Amino acid sequence: MSSVTQIAPTPVAPVVTRPRSRKRVRKFGWNALALVVLFVMVFPVYWMISTAFKPGHDILSFTPQWVPAHPTLSNFTDAIHQQFFWNAVKNSLIVTSVVVLLSLVLAFLAALALAKFSFYGRKPFIVVILGVQMVPLAALIIPLYIMMSRVHQVDKLSGVIVMYLTFVLPFAVWTLRGFLLGVPKELEESAMVDGATRFGAFVRILLPLLGPGLVATSIFAFIQAWNEFIIAYVFLHTPEKQTLMVWLASFTTLRGTDWGPLMAGATLCSLPVIVFFVLVQRKIAFGLTAGAVKG
Amino acid sequence: MAQIEFIHVSKSYGDTPAVRDLNLQVDEGEFVVLVGPSGCGKTTALRMVAGLEEITGGEIRIGDRIVNELAPRDRDIAMVFQNYALYPHKTVYENLAFGLRMRKVPKAQQRERVEDIARKLGLADMLDRRPAQLSGGQRQRVAMGRAIVREPKAFLMDEPLSNLDAKLRVQMRAEIARIQKALEVTTLYVTHDQVEAMTMGDRVAVMRDGILQQVDTPQRLYDAPANLFVASFVGSPPMNLFEADVDKDGARLLFGPTQLDLGGRSLPELAGRRIAVGIRPEEVREASGWDGARVRGRVLLVEALGAEQLVHIEVAAAPLERADLVDAAGQPPGPSLGVEDLERSVTLLGRFDRHLLLTPGEAVEVAIDPRLLHFFDLETGLALPTADLPAVAGVAG
Repeated sequence: MSSVTQIAPTPVAPVVTRPRSRKRVRKFGWNALALVVLFVMVFPVYWMISTAFKPGHDILSFTPQWVPAHPTLSNFTDAIHQQFFWNAVKNSLIVTSVVVLLSLVLAFLAALALAKFSFYGRKPFIVVILGVQMVPLAALIIPLYIMMSRVHQVDKLSGVIVMYLTFVLPFAVWTLRGFLLGVPKELEESAMVDGATRFGAFVRILLPLLGPGLVATSIFAFIQAWNEFIIAYVFLHTPEKQTLMVWLASFTTLRGTDWGPLMAGATLCSLPVIVFFVLVQRKIAFGLTAGAVKG
Repeated sequence: MAQIEFIHVSKSYGDTPAVRDLNLQVDEGEFVVLVGPSGCGKTTALRMVAGLEEITGGEIRIGDRIVNELAPRDRDIAMVFQNYALYPHKTVYENLAFGLRMRKVPKAQQRERVEDIARKLGLADMLDRRPAQLSGGQRQRVAMGRAIVREPKAFLMDEPLSNLDAKLRVQMRAEIARIQKALEVTTLYVTHDQVEAMTMGDRVAVMRDGILQQVDTPQRLYDAPANLFVASFVGSPPMNLFEADVDKDGARLLFGPTQLDLGGRSLPELAGRRIAVGIRPEEVREASGWDGARVRGRVLLVEALGAEQLVHIEVAAAPLERADLVDAAGQPPGPSLGVEDLERSVTLLGRFDRHLLLTPGEAVEVAIDPRLLHFFDLETGLALPTADLPAVAGVAG
């Protein structure tokens, strides 16, 4: 007879693996979903770029070519030599830079008022700012056209700039106000006691701390102004005054669409947004106020 | 350097008064501490001096100038904020030099002064760092340095130590007092911590509900509180307070079964009245060897503090009914459960020698020296003048 006691193995495996495997399946599901979303977002961009490098017969062939078999730059030369291209580039640059600059200045001042001063009707005003963004653009086009034509701003870049500002400012003010509320009021008070004027305290202390907010706002304003199509299409008639997005539409004519140069043009139009984002994104550093006050 | 003067200053937010008819003078080079529980108006008073808060009524003078309408930057004062308010995007050097730059001090002189202050405060190696890279104590010193480097007429400090841990607070307390003494700059310092107030101030001003209660040297404040609030607020642990009757001759205090002989300190002027009686914990002593008045009690709790022990003794007496006259936060715990007559017992706190062996539940006799008792009016809370002790001066409300 053996006196050795046998110890049964502890049945831990099934208890532990079940939740773990379920977790893994769930994780896989989310990852797969993310990949689908990524594909949906990225594919049009990829197709635009790849089409831009394909010669005409490849573009129209019934068997899709995923990678250009005979890459060519002719679409780009065609696009650049298309009438009014440089006018459109100039117009877009003017409109976008003015909108970005003006929206930053105006939004900073407006956000300052909303965040730092208490005045009658402040709260309703803040709500209204958010509320006006809910109105669909299409519903506003006709009244806006009538209004702008009365002040002779149709077919003028200045008119489009004003319109873009009205769409960019609410978001910009709202965003900057949030950033301003995050800056402790003691910082500007301290600057004022140290010898700065109220405005000096805003500019010397608050403005530098708003860096990330200003960058976020400017990216938004840039994208809005650069990519906008409907307003520019409705308000700018003369070909010399059109912006790039309207110019792109000129590839679609009654006789059909010139896909190669259109995609090349579209690729060229996307470049500034990407370049601008790459240039400024490093400035979006959150937590800049860390260390200002005891945390 | 200049004196700071509040003359009938009041401040209200809408209908809510924050400071009421404040009269206070901080002399040249003096260190005055404004102390009181939160919401008592002390910070508002300080911010009015800085120009960060508008003055509703009265006037504030710095030196010989009325500053009511002056912008903060024109008042030539420096302020240290509770949360330091260091500029996070600037280095320590830039933080220290900011005030000098605003006042257009020549660059060479700026550098000289900043480096000098940094050396004195032990910040010389950190001039290139940003506030986020500093410890709490270092940030505190930068905030102090920023005030000192300007050489202003007065320092205003709004609870500058409240964010530090206990050890560092004690250290910085001494350091601030030392710097103030060395520079002899008029200083108005706000705190809710009465220990800080007592240890730092040349004089201490106690505020409550926007009203100045008493201004005096820390010792006088402790020895002769003007009213029940000051008596209960100043001192840690706070003064023991209870109600008692003065007998018809004014020779004895009657509470519970106790008839406390007042000995040489008879109170003919209070004869027959019910009054509030106060005694500091260190004056509640164990009675062996004492041939004067004694009070019987029972030990509830013994707290060993190392150097001494804090003993809670339950005594038959009536607790104060007017809780609104005292500092609520400073009141000792109520009577224990299991006592038949809850209404009629109070807990006396006593500071006893650590060698004395006492256990909870034990009956004990404590010695009370009648000369060390404080008497207060039950209606107004004001200290009662007695023949041997005149009423306290400096009361404003």
